[in-house]
Amino acid sequence: MTDALSFEKENTAISIQHVSKSFDKDEVLHDVNHNFEEGLIHGVIGNNGSGKTVLFKCICGFLTPSKGKIFVDYQQVGKDMDFPDDMGIIIETPGFLPFSTGFKNLKILASLRDKIGDDRIKETIRRVGLDPDSKKLVSKYSLGMRQRLGIAQAIMEDPLMLILDEPFNGLDKHGVADMRELLLELKGRGKTILLASHNQADIDELCDTVCEMDAGVLTVIR
Amino acid sequence: MTSTKVKKNRLRDFASAITQVWQICVYNFMSWKKNPRVFITFGLAFVLCFLLTDKVVEFSYEYDTIMQAVEPFVWTFGDSNSILLASLLLILLFSDMPFLGAGIPFYLMRTTRIRWMLGQVLYICIAIFIYMLFVMLSSIIICMKNAFAGNMWSETGAILGYSQAGKAIAVPSSVKTMEMSTPYECMATIFLLMLLYTLLCVFIMLVMNLRKGKFWGIGSVFIFSIYGFLLNPQLFKDTLHLSDEQMYIANVATGWASPLQHATYYMHNFGYDLLPRLKHTYMIYAVLILLLFTSAFLAMRNYNFKFTGGLD
Repeated sequence: MTDALSFEKENTAISIQHVSKSFDKDEVLHDVNHNFEEGLIHGVIGNNGSGKTVLFKCICGFLTPSKGKIFVDYQQVGKDMDFPDDMGIIIETPGFLPFSTGFKNLKILASLRDKIGDDRIKETIRRVGLDPDSKKLVSKYSLGMRQRLGIAQAIMEDPLMLILDEPFNGLDKHGVADMRELLLELKGRGKTILLASHNQADIDELCDTVCEMDAGVLTVIR
Repeated sequence: MTSTKVKKNRLRDFASAITQVWQICVYNFMSWKKNPRVFITFGLAFVLCFLLTDKVVEFSYEYDTIMQAVEPFVWTFGDSNSILLASLLLILLFSDMPFLGAGIPFYLMRTTRIRWMLGQVLYICIAIFIYMLFVMLSSIIICMKNAFAGNMWSETGAILGYSQAGKAIAVPSSVKTMEMSTPYECMATIFLLMLLYTLLCVFIMLVMNLRKGKFWGIGSVFIFSIYGFLLNPQLFKDTLHLSDEQMYIANVATGWASPLQHATYYMHNFGYDLLPRLKHTYMIYAVLILLLFTSAFLAMRNYNFKFTGGLD
C-alpha cells in the first residue's frame, strides 16, 4: 500500500514504476516509469504496435507486468485490487450484446455495480448523442454509434479516471466535436483522463501533458 | 464500527458477489441468442442422437415390440463410444473458452478475477447440464411413437439383453443393467456419469486454455478423448487376442484407468467383480474436477486477458 512507496507528487492518479512487459521473448514495454497527475488529460501518442494499448491494459489490470508496479489511486494493480475500482475504459473496439438495445446493454453492465439507476443510464446515453428509448439493436448500430455507446458505458458511473484508447474511432466530425467537449467537461469536474489517439488535433486541443510511446519506451513530449 | 455493522457489510458484499457471479453467467447465455455455433452444436447433437438411437428404434419396429421411453437413451449412452461422441460435440460450443469477447473488458472492470471466473464455471456447469438434458430428451422424442412411460423394462429391452440380438446390432444392453436397476434409476445414473465426464473434459480444456492457450486447450481434449478411446477392453481383445482370463483383467484395469470407462454404466461393480463401484467413480470425478477447478483459479490470478475484437 501507500506507506511502502514514495510518489513524486501527492496528487498522482496513476503511477507506473519501472514497468516492463514481455510476450515470450518479445519485450513490448521497456522500463516505463511515469506518474500521471490527477485532474488532467494526458495524451499518449505512438505508432501502431508501439505499446500504447499494452500499457493501458496493464493499467487496467488485464495484463500483468513482467517487471515493475502500477498504482492507481495509491493502490497496486494486481495486488491490492484486480482491476481499478473507480475507472471507466474503452480499450480497442467496444463490444456489446448485438441482439439487445443500447440501453439494455448498459443496464446489464450497470447492474454489476448497482451504483446507478435507469435515469442516470438514460441521461448518459443522451449525453453521448444517442436515444435511450430507441428499440434499435446494437447489431444495427454504425461504428460511430457503438463508439458513442462505449463512451457512455465508460462514463455512466461517474468514475474518477478514464482510460480511453482511440475513443474517436468511427466518429464523424460532429461526433468528434461532441466528444471533445464532453472530455473537457469531465476534466473540469476533476476527472483524470488518459487518452490515446492517432489524431494530432485531438491531442493538441485536449491534452495537458503528452507522452510518446516508441518501441515500448515512454518519453515525455510536454 | 460495531460488529453488527461489520457483519451487515460482509453480508452485503457476499450478496453482491453472488449477484455478480450470476450476472456474468447470464451474460454468457445472452450471447447464445442467434448464435450459429449454438444452433450447430444442438443441431448436430440431435442428429447424433437420431443416428445412435436409430438401431434400437428400428429393432423395436422390426420385432413389433414397444419400448420404455428412456430405453433408447440408456442403451445408446450406456456405451463409451456414444458418450465420447456426445462430449466431443461440446468442444464446438466451448471452443472460445475462456469467453473473451470484445465486451468482456467492460464486465471485468466492474468485478474481480475470482468472481468472473466463478461466473464462467457456473455457466459451463449449467450449459453442460442443458446440453445433456437436450441429448436425453432428443433420444426420448425420437422413440416416443412406440414407447410407454412406466418404470419397467420393456419387451424390446428384454430381447436385446437376454438374447444375442443386442450384441448383433452393437447395442450395449445387458442383463446386468436390467437386473440391477429400473429404467429411470438407470437413466439418472447414466445422465450423471455423462455429465461428470463432460465436465471433466471441459475443465481440462479450460485449464489448458488458461495456461497454454487455445490450441492446447482444444488439443488436450482430443488427447484425453483418444486416451479414453484406446483404453478399451474390446480393443485389447481384438488386437492382442486375449484369453477370457486375460480379458477379465483387461476389463478391470481399463475400468479403473480410463475416465471414459468410468462414464460407462455397465463398466461398474454391482457386487460380483472388481470394477469400480459407482461411488468410486463419483469420487474420482469429483477429485479430478476439484483439482482442475483449483488449477483454473490459480492460473486466473496472473492470466493475461486477450480480447477478441468486434461485436460479441
